[in-house]
Amino acid sequence: MKTILSVENLNLSFGGIKAVQNISFNIYQNELLGLIGPNGAGKTTVFNIISGFYKADTGSIDLDNVSLVTMKPDQVNKAGLARTFQNIRLFGNLSVIENVIIALQQKIEISWFHSLFRTQKYLILESELRTKALGLLKIFSLDQLADSPSKSLPYGLQRKLEIVRALASDPKLLILDEPAAGMNHSETDDLKKLIQFIKTEFKLTVLLIEHDMKLVMTICDRIVVLNRGEKIAEGTPAEIKANKQVIEAYLGKRS
Amino acid sequence: MKSLNPFKLKIIFIFCFFTLGLILNAFLNSYIQALAISFLINSMMAMSLNFITGVANQFSLGSAGFIAVGAYTSAVLTKEVFSDHWYFIPLTALIGAGVAAFAGFLVSLPSFKLKGDYLAIVTLGFAEIVRVTFLNWNYVGGARGYNAIVKWPNFMTAYFATGVAVIITLYVLYSLKISWFGRNLWALNEDEIAAEVMGANIAKNKRTAFLISSFFGGLAGGFYAHNMGYISPGSFGFLLSVQVLIITVLGGLGSISGSIIASVILTALPELLRSLPTGGIDVRMIVFPILLILMMIVRPEGLFGKKEIWDFFKKDNLVKK
Repeated sequence: MKTILSVENLNLSFGGIKAVQNISFNIYQNELLGLIGPNGAGKTTVFNIISGFYKADTGSIDLDNVSLVTMKPDQVNKAGLARTFQNIRLFGNLSVIENVIIALQQKIEISWFHSLFRTQKYLILESELRTKALGLLKIFSLDQLADSPSKSLPYGLQRKLEIVRALASDPKLLILDEPAAGMNHSETDDLKKLIQFIKTEFKLTVLLIEHDMKLVMTICDRIVVLNRGEKIAEGTPAEIKANKQVIEAYLGKRS
Repeated sequence: MKSLNPFKLKIIFIFCFFTLGLILNAFLNSYIQALAISFLINSMMAMSLNFITGVANQFSLGSAGFIAVGAYTSAVLTKEVFSDHWYFIPLTALIGAGVAAFAGFLVSLPSFKLKGDYLAIVTLGFAEIVRVTFLNWNYVGGARGYNAIVKWPNFMTAYFATGVAVIITLYVLYSLKISWFGRNLWALNEDEIAAEVMGANIAKNKRTAFLISSFFGGLAGGFYAHNMGYISPGSFGFLLSVQVLIITVLGGLGSISGSIIASVILTALPELLRSLPTGGIDVRMIVFPILLILMMIVRPEGLFGKKEIWDFFKKDNLVKK
């Protein structure tokens, strides 16, 4: 199986706190990998290192054989990695379709001359962007809402739009940071279907950070468990469920 | 689909503009004429600030600095290089704008990570540095100011030249606002981190916005110098920056054409208030701020918010869609 992302011996400390210690894992093509752990285990820190917000002290991150270690977030995105946020970060006052277009337009070069004089070429390019964005929204049946401001959407749809926006940047690897946070059961069910849908439909590789164990256990192919900045287990959901260390990390030791 | 063809709308607008110039030239006195020119220059300054503060959401208090750089460059060039020929004014104003754009670029280099108040302090500091530099620079007259700058030969030339500059400024800034670049800036404005994660290079976008804004600030400065015929460091103090900011905020942060309307109001209002019967006391400076405060309470987003004037004509189309 082809490795999409390989993380090796990642280390990061904030002052005296070792937030991430010697973490290594691989994600293979078209796999859904779950990253779980109790609060404060370092999951989001690992995410932030991968997506370029934090610089790791040591260690290597390779996306499809391209090193991400020195890249800034926008370069990481161009290298083929898109992510969503634990607390939704949409461009709230912009319309739904504009949110998607902004992701799309980063991938193309538009000349200043054409955009300044609004030439035919530019107008065609603009309408192509719009059509493409609309097509993408249609797949996720958000096209009816294309022109409404994205902050007016209900929570579940905002989450969905954030995922669509991430997809619009045509990533090789999609990272979802606690997508089920704050959702009720039916919304979580929809989310589950959505994640499975994008995984098969877009042939994507997905890394999922999540607290909702039911969700993680049902949809992930493999799971990596972190605790106190260290990796304590890795395996299929069934293996993880039976792992003593994982149970200890979540529930504590039996006295 | 569209009720008013935008091309026709533009033609009508430009036609009205020049007819107005002819009327002003033929029937009204030089006081009104001077006001008209100063309104045009004010609106140019406000539009340039609006691009950086309204569209790109980078709070700048340094517009006077860019205006000063443009004004001094243009004034010195016409006198020293182009031997006082007025028909070189557009060229020198453009060069002045270029120099101001370079200054804007330099300011943006260390400050692209700053936001809000912090950026305001940096730009304010820049404007002060510019002012103090000119104040202590004997070649440009120091505190005495720079004298006998060549002026436009008559009102019509001044009106048309400045008017064309205003229209170009409006056109360029508006097309940039609605282009992909403007969209990038809105996105940065909404959520910087998300924009970065979507692949937008924040530093580069902000630098470019600064460059464009200071270019037009400098252009306005060039026209200012040749309209007044005399500039001194005192004309480019903090008050000028604030005055430009007030126009921008009144017109609506993000509404380029709103800045023009606001500058009509704010150029005319102090003059109208001048005739108030006050018994020797200047109440203008009391009435004027009170009007602004009222305005901000009633309509905090400014006259036009983020919309342009012509967006209001198109409203029925939006409903249909």
